[in-house]
Amino acid sequence: MKTYPTYILTRLGQFVLVVFIGINIAFIVTHSTPIDPVEQSIAAATQYGSTSPEAIALMRQSLKELYGLQGGLADQYFAFWRRILLGDFGPSLSAFPTPVSVLVGRALPWTAGLLLSSTLLTWVLGNLLGGLAGYYRQSRALRFAGILAMAFHPIPYYVVAFVLLIVFGYLWPILPLSGGYGMNMTRALSWGFIGSVALHSILPVLSLALVGLGGWFMGMRSLVSNIVTEDYVAYAELGGVKRSRILASYVMRNALVPQVTGLAMSLGAIFNGAIITEQVFGYPGVGTLLVSAVYAGDYSLVLGITTVSIVAVSLAVLLIDLCYPLIDPRVRAR
Amino acid sequence: MRTWRAMALSLLAICLVVEARAQGPISNLPRKETLIVENPEGTIKNAGWFNIWAINAGGQSTGLHQLGMDTFWYIDPQKGLDGVWDNSLAAEKPIYNADFTEMTVKLRKGIFWSDGVEFTADDVVYTIETHMKANGLRWSAPVQVNVAQVLSPDPQTVVFKLKKPNSRFHALFTVRWNAMWMMPKHVFEKAGDPLKFAFDPPVTLGPYTLNSYDPNGKWFIWQKRPDWQRTSVARFGEPGPKYVAYIDPGPPDKRVIAQLNHELDIIHDTSPEGMFTIAKQSQSSHGWFKGFPYAHPDPTLPAVVFNDELDVFKNRDVRWALALLIDIKAVSMASYRGAATISAIGVPPTGAGPENYHSPLESWLQSFELDTGKQKIRPYDPTIGKQIADMLRPSLKDQIPSDPATIAKSFGRGWWKPNPQAATELLERAGFSKKGDKWFLPDGKPFAIKLTVEGEGRPVMTRAGSMIAQQWRQFGIDATTTVAQGSMFDRRAAGDFEAMITWSVETWGGHPDLSFFLDSWHSQFVAAPGKPQPPRNWQRWSNPELDKLIEQIRQTAFDDPKGLELGREYVKLVVREMPTIPLMSYNVFTVMDDTYWTGYPNAETAPYTDPVPNWANTKYMMVRLKPR
Repeated sequence: MKTYPTYILTRLGQFVLVVFIGINIAFIVTHSTPIDPVEQSIAAATQYGSTSPEAIALMRQSLKELYGLQGGLADQYFAFWRRILLGDFGPSLSAFPTPVSVLVGRALPWTAGLLLSSTLLTWVLGNLLGGLAGYYRQSRALRFAGILAMAFHPIPYYVVAFVLLIVFGYLWPILPLSGGYGMNMTRALSWGFIGSVALHSILPVLSLALVGLGGWFMGMRSLVSNIVTEDYVAYAELGGVKRSRILASYVMRNALVPQVTGLAMSLGAIFNGAIITEQVFGYPGVGTLLVSAVYAGDYSLVLGITTVSIVAVSLAVLLIDLCYPLIDPRVRAR
Repeated sequence: MRTWRAMALSLLAICLVVEARAQGPISNLPRKETLIVENPEGTIKNAGWFNIWAINAGGQSTGLHQLGMDTFWYIDPQKGLDGVWDNSLAAEKPIYNADFTEMTVKLRKGIFWSDGVEFTADDVVYTIETHMKANGLRWSAPVQVNVAQVLSPDPQTVVFKLKKPNSRFHALFTVRWNAMWMMPKHVFEKAGDPLKFAFDPPVTLGPYTLNSYDPNGKWFIWQKRPDWQRTSVARFGEPGPKYVAYIDPGPPDKRVIAQLNHELDIIHDTSPEGMFTIAKQSQSSHGWFKGFPYAHPDPTLPAVVFNDELDVFKNRDVRWALALLIDIKAVSMASYRGAATISAIGVPPTGAGPENYHSPLESWLQSFELDTGKQKIRPYDPTIGKQIADMLRPSLKDQIPSDPATIAKSFGRGWWKPNPQAATELLERAGFSKKGDKWFLPDGKPFAIKLTVEGEGRPVMTRAGSMIAQQWRQFGIDATTTVAQGSMFDRRAAGDFEAMITWSVETWGGHPDLSFFLDSWHSQFVAAPGKPQPPRNWQRWSNPELDKLIEQIRQTAFDDPKGLELGREYVKLVVREMPTIPLMSYNVFTVMDDTYWTGYPNAETAPYTDPVPNWANTKYMMVRLKPR
């Protein structure tokens, strides 16, 4: 039997390896793209205006120098790792010379706020309703809630999002269609600004919650359905323990262990952004940033976002791995 | 039951509270004084960057170049407020010496930057010298290639000494979408490296100054300068809107919803379907044309661009055969749902194009003969525009004009009549053969064409490409489409395509001079296969006759009528040679809502400028807009 420190060291080693491999794959993929940031910049600079072919040749050379793309792939690879180890992703090539970290830092709070609230809301509601539905199987209200959750679950996300937009943005226009907050508002810790942010987040959060709720609901209901047949639950019931206490302390608590793992993975994935949500609702965030970086061939920015995402997901898994032995003695015993 | 009732009541209460709090798109600006415009650049990654001279560093059409920038001259893509040519910062047209090695510019007096400093020749000299010294600025390369020295003999005069003769040097400072903007010397000389200076807040020469912006790049609000009289546009009156907001309203569906809610005054572009929806549902919205086809034809000419360096397309007969296999009516329906303005010749059918090229060359086109080796045909059918209108009339009724002149303006004139027999004869003369229902190259390999399209980024053109590939396939050519998505620019520059739906022809719009694109078609700039091709001769076509025409245009002054004659010779040459197959103008579904503002430009009664709001030329629209 391994000791807990050995367990931690093994998991840390795995974490470092996963991050290293993930970042390398991201580097290879971004540098294999046929999109050249220099050509994108030239196209942007010359797309509409008058251009002299001689001037373009000169511009191409200047931009390569400016973006630091003159060396070979190996030079760029080592330079990239040097920067990563110093916590610097370099300048964005499609918003030169602004550092990637500034762009990611500006977008991340919006994505994190949106996905954190929708993930937690969905997780809590889905598990609560799923747990209740699994335990009180005769309740008509909970069965109806189950039908609703399952009905929304398989609908493609963008369909739900567009229906919400049309209903609350056009037919009954009570919610804003786009953005993270009202135009021309000063960003401050004021009720006005907070209210505007909340108002703008209702539709994106609702769309994510409607589609995401079913998964947690069904998972929890089936877990609870299995647990209620366990001997200890039957024994507690026979022993006259209150049903609410059985549900909370005996059934839900046990069923929550795999759901917590799922939550940790979902929270880690927050840093990937919610590309479709951000596009449909015009919400500022990492997803929109990532899409525009891919189209612009901005390797620096794509690598910056994917690196943050790889580290976040791996870290979430690591944390849950480290916590497991504390929650579940069976893991510690392995 | 009680629980459910309580939940339903709570939900209703929340909805009512939200409705009570529901707000328009602007929090604290008076809507009646604010014009809201779509910025097609979308969300700006680097919103706080207003140094427009740095390439690709921040947004351009966020209002920055429409409302904040200025330069010597503007050419309007339509008729202009007072003619197509406007002396903006310049007091008069460019003055060249006899051999075009020197250009003198006389500047207007009484123009001021938004911080109260007067604009003088020193700003111009500083702008040019900064671009001569610094590599990597947006206009560094053209300045370094052309300018030997810049002088300011007095505060209102600038003299450019050029490295070699250039009769079109003024084009660098003449706005067609954009041009080289003037820098405020007193700001930039204190800023250090001009490549790393954000210029936030920008000091402007235009009639507006920045009010506020979203750090996440969703919106930019500009405010009319209290001293707008000290800007160049003041000659035409006071700009109407006190505030102008450039926003990212999201995908086409959301733009339509936003305008139907009157939260977006000008949609830059939407899908044909979006345009038809607005036309049906809104009384207050309209496009460039009052009725069908609504859209503004930009002075840009989408075409089937062959890679003429490839052996298969080197033969003129093959290119003509492929043109004769296209049914442009079907392409118009597939791409723009009929709302296209077609052009058979290599000039966009918009602005001054029809008056200077399409109309005068109509009889030449009708008598143009193509020898297939077995017969002589007259491929031009002058009635195709009318046929498209007739095809649409049963479903769109009164929206379709019946006056021939209006039809020609809206749908275009004629095009090439599909002629598979003539195409067969041309291909056979080129050594191709048909076995069964498939065509083969002279070397016996199957005749296959990959037609590159941009994909979802440009759905209208993608649909045109799919239809053309289908028509070629029906004839027995193994034609397929390849979706390039974001790699379109790279592939086009690298010549990594066989044929592509794109454009290599863009004109001033309001002026007949073709040098804007044509100069770059000279064979001196054609790159070797595999090497990047500079804009705009994407077809990599070389022709000695064309070279001679371009060289003559270079020696002809911009406004010399001889330039127009040479331009018509270019049109005849490319009809004979068909290096690309011109299709139609790039129609932009700009939709304007009259709920808060009136006076927008339109084709029928107010063609004073292009309404497409990412054009810097739209600064002229501001002086015509009036609150409702």
